Order: sequence, then structure tokens, then C-alpha cells
Amino acid sequence: MFSRGSKAPAIIALVASVLGLIFASNSTLDYAAHLDRRLHNVHCSFIPGASAVPEAEACRAAMYSPYSALLKDQYWGGIPISLFGLGAFCFFAAFSLYLLLNGERTSRRTLAFFALVGTTPLLVSLLMLTISITQLGQVCKTCAGIYISSALLAFGAVAAWLSARMDSTRPTVSFALVPAWLVALCATALAPAVVYAASAPDQRPFITQCGEIKQAKIKGDNPVRVRGSHAVQPTMLFEDPLCPTCKAFHDRLVTENIIEKLDIELVLFPLDNDCNWMLDSALHPGACIVSKAVLCGEGNARQVLEWAYDQQEYLTRAGKAGENTLRSVIKQRWGESLLRCVDDKKTDVRLNNHLHFASENNIPVSTPQMYLGKRRVCDEDTDLGLRFTLAQLSPEVLK
Amino acid sequence: MTQAVDPGRPGGSGSSRPAGAGAMAAIVALAAGLLLTAGSALAVRSWTSTAAEHLLEPEKEKPKVAIADQAEVAYCTPQFKQVLERVLHSCGLAAEGEGARRGCKPADVKTFASISDDDFNALFTPLKDRGGVLMFDEGRDELDERGKKLLEERWYARKGARYFFVVARASKTGSPSKNNALSHRRANSVMFFLKQLSNDPEIEQKVGLLWLGNEFAQLSKEYCSWPNSRADEKCDDEPINRSAFVSWVDCRL
Repeated sequence: MFSRGSKAPAIIALVASVLGLIFASNSTLDYAAHLDRRLHNVHCSFIPGASAVPEAEACRAAMYSPYSALLKDQYWGGIPISLFGLGAFCFFAAFSLYLLLNGERTSRRTLAFFALVGTTPLLVSLLMLTISITQLGQVCKTCAGIYISSALLAFGAVAAWLSARMDSTRPTVSFALVPAWLVALCATALAPAVVYAASAPDQRPFITQCGEIKQAKIKGDNPVRVRGSHAVQPTMLFEDPLCPTCKAFHDRLVTENIIEKLDIELVLFPLDNDCNWMLDSALHPGACIVSKAVLCGEGNARQVLEWAYDQQEYLTRAGKAGENTLRSVIKQRWGESLLRCVDDKKTDVRLNNHLHFASENNIPVSTPQMYLGKRRVCDEDTDLGLRFTLAQLSPEVLK
Repeated sequence: MTQAVDPGRPGGSGSSRPAGAGAMAAIVALAAGLLLTAGSALAVRSWTSTAAEHLLEPEKEKPKVAIADQAEVAYCTPQFKQVLERVLHSCGLAAEGEGARRGCKPADVKTFASISDDDFNALFTPLKDRGGVLMFDEGRDELDERGKKLLEERWYARKGARYFFVVARASKTGSPSKNNALSHRRANSVMFFLKQLSNDPEIEQKVGLLWLGNEFAQLSKEYCSWPNSRADEKCDDEPINRSAFVSWVDCRL
């Protein structure tokens, strides 16, 4: 593909490394910015250096996912894996530069080493891409930027090796350099992560600052219980079945197997002014009807809730299309008897009691909300900091 | 990233130039690697430090989140709320525990409302469509089916209201004491039906009972146009006062 002695593979590898460095920097910057527990825009573009934007659902979903970081129980938000990419791309950029400057004087062993280690980011990228598609159902653009950079790097590295493979005129180098390079690669890959771990702020004083609920239990026959198979922690969740953030939160609880350790009292808090007087307009049209379907699920409430989350986009469209469309969707999936229950005035009263429970406790009008016993888990601790917060407040949940 | 020089290569053996160039390439690459790694580490340190500083600073433009609360609509004027609060405290809704007083009789209402009959009725005008008038037969206190239906409809339309008010009356016919007792029984009939309907153990904290007999705040025949349980029957000053007005009140009290 490339002529003997061509510098193109080294240039490709260098450009790929710099691109990877930029994308990994953006990703790390987004992660680090959230350590202040505030909401931030997120970089989510194929264009290196493009500014952060508020609408970046796929990148936000990737960031909040359990796969975005390591050691989440020990560090708030964990150690983002982009840090390892950041360090590794530094190494690859320097090594590519060396290949470029050294040209044909570079030994075949050096190129073979580079071809070998230069494909590792691609392997990791393929793994992460598979996780993105199969587990998250979407691919974030910044992550895709890293994947593409990794692929380019692998291409450049392998091409450089292939073009020199038959060139016996090249000098040789001692094999002892290989472990030295590996050590250098490991050191550069780890350096940003070590710095991050050492300098990330201590979140422990903040995770208990979001108050308590006045009443730990909803009264009468109103509660919806979702008890995990190994429930150890009484928990109250305020959720709206048509709220995307609730869906993401629920998915985290399921994916990380946390839900099985929780004894959940589910309070339905639809952000739909059809039943919720606290809103002037419906954030999630149809959420009142779907909430009633969850209430009517009784013993199967979790299944109905998870169905609503799985079908959220479809149900949201149906909710916008009108009450009857939504009702027919519910009937189609759950049958006539559940729909009768949805239409029963007693179910209206039950849902109304859930909303009154929220108002009597003066909780914020937002979803999702999590209470461990009576203690409110701060919103920022329900996404990035979830595992760390649980490790601090209810460690038995993570055992 | 130093390299041995291939002696077979033209210009390689005995020449210091390629070896020097190779060493230079290695040095430049090593320097670039160190610079990039150090730069990355410093950038990371800077980002985490900035976050740590923000963490300790109060957020200037923190997005305001609404707090869940009962409904509060336009008719909740200070005067209206003042009267209702007096009802709450004087008629037992705000009291807890057994033996707490339940309901208010005409003398109480006159005392705590401290307003004229017309002003008292006018306060309830905004509740015309939210509430309903349950009509009774003369001298009777039983709710008929139409009354129960209207009461059920109004009860289930709670939305964000916290308190449900029942204002029972009696017509001019008969003595004040007899009408006082009759309106009391009418208020109790409403309460009894609501207890059956709702099966709510906390209903006592939600429903406020007032019975006015024929002594205070009688309704004029204009109130016949309000939603009532006997819309198809003749209505004037007499039947409209053989009634109990019921409504949820969307005020934070």
C-alpha cells in the first residue's frame, strides 16, 4: 500500500494520536468538570475542539454509564477510562513522531512493537463500541472520535510495519528496549489517572447535604413495592415512567445489580399537568396514564415500569398523539383488565395520593429522586457518584 | 528509543551522521512524550482543582427547582384564606387526637368569620364550578342518589387541594334550634358518605364541616344556578338552603 520508506504511515499514526489525544482530553475534561457536582455542557462532536453543548444525550448517557470509569466505589464518579486513553495517546504521539523523524533508520523490531501496541487502542475501542451498542443503545460522538482515532492509529502502525517488513537493510535494536517501551507506555497511560485520583476533591462532606424526607412511608393502600431478590436497604424512589432521566437511572440500578439489594417503595410522580397540579404544562404528556398503569400492575408493577422505560420513546409519541392512542397501546400490551383499572376512579385517587405525598413532603419537583431510608440522595449522586455514594451511605448494597 | 546502526546500510558503518540523527529523533520524541504526558497530567490536575474550587463556592446561577406543594389558585385571597384558616382552627381540622372538636355551628362561624353573611357567601363564589350544592328534602338529612353522585364526582376531583369543605344549611321554615340540628345532621350525612366512599383513615384531617342552620349566610335564589344535585327541580330561596355546599379548596392554608 505504501512504498518502502514512505513516511505516510508515521504521519497517519501521528495525526491519529493527536486526534485521540484531543478527543480523550475532551472526554476527561467533561468528566472532571462534573466533580464540582453541577450541571455542565458536554463535548459531543466529531469535530476535534468543538465546544461543549447542552444537548448531548448520547455522550451524557455514556458518561453516566457504569462502563465509563473504574473504581467507582472508591472514587466519586470513578477514574474515567478516557484518562488511560489520554496517557496512551501521548505515548503513541511521541512514538509516531520518532518514526517520522527516524524514517528508514527505524528497525523492524521497533515497527513490529509499534504495530503490536498501536492496535491495543483499537481493541479497547471495539470493546467499548460493542458495549455502547449493546448496553447503551447509542454511540457518543466523542467516544466515536476516539474509536476512529484508534482505528487510524492501528492502521498507521500496522502499515508502517508492513511496509518495512521485507526490508532487510534496516538496522536492528536490542530486544531489551521492548520491555522499556512497555514500561514507558504503562507509565504514560497511568500518569493522568494517578494525578486525577490524587487530586479529585473529596465528595464525602457533600453527599449527606440534601436533606431528609418528612414521612418515610406513603400511607394506606397506596405504596407500590418493588422488592429486590436480596433486598437490604429500604429505599424510596420518586419516578415518572416517561422521564428519560428516570429511565437512565433505573437502567443504572439494574445494570449494576443494585436494584436487587433495594426494598423500594415507588412513588409515582408524573411530570404531566393532566394530573399533576404542580406544573403549568406537561413535560411528559401521557405520564399520568402510564403511571396509573404502573399502579395497576400491583405485583407486576416493576414489569410495567420497565416496559414503560423500554418503550419510552414510543409511549411518549403516543402520549402526544392523545389519550386514546396511549390507552390502546396499554391495552394491547397489558390487556383489558389493566386498562379498566387505569380508568377506575380509585386509581385516580391513588395516583393523586402519590402526588399529595410528594407535596406534603415538599420534595423538589423533579425526577428521579432517591431516598435511602429518610435521607435524600443528591441528584448528582444518582448518576456519576451513585456507587461511591452507596458505598458511603449503604455499603451493604454493594456487597 | 536509541538504536543500533545497521553496518550493512549505505552510510551506516563508520558514519556518525545517521546514528546522530537517530539519537536526535529519539531525543526529540522522548522530549515530546515527556512534554505531552506532563502537559496532560497538569491539565488533569488543573481540571480537578477547578472543580474542587467550584465545589466550595456557592453556585451563582443555580437553576431554581420548584418545590412540591398543594395547589394555590387565584381565588385564594388573603381574606378567603383568613376565614378558612379560622375554620380550620376553630372547627377542629387542625386539631389532632381523639376528642378533637369536629365542625362548626352557626354561633362559632359568626364569631370566627367576623364578616357579614353576604361577604361570607361571596368568598365561596369562585368555587361555583369546583363545588356543588347537594339538595335535601324538607326536614330531611338523607342524601339521595343524585346527591351522592354529585358528591362522589366532586370528591374524586381533588387534584392539588388539601381541604374539602362542607357548608350545610337549612331553610327558614322552623325554629333556629331545629334548623341548627337539621343542618348539623346534613353535614354529618355528607361526612358519613365520604367515609364510606374514601375509606381514608385520615379523612377527619381533610374535611371541614360547617353547619349554619338558618341563622347565618343564607343563600339567595341566585345560587340556584350553581351546579346542584336537583337541577331539574324548581328552585328558590327555600330549597337552595335545604342543602350542603361541598367543594375542595385549592388554597395553601
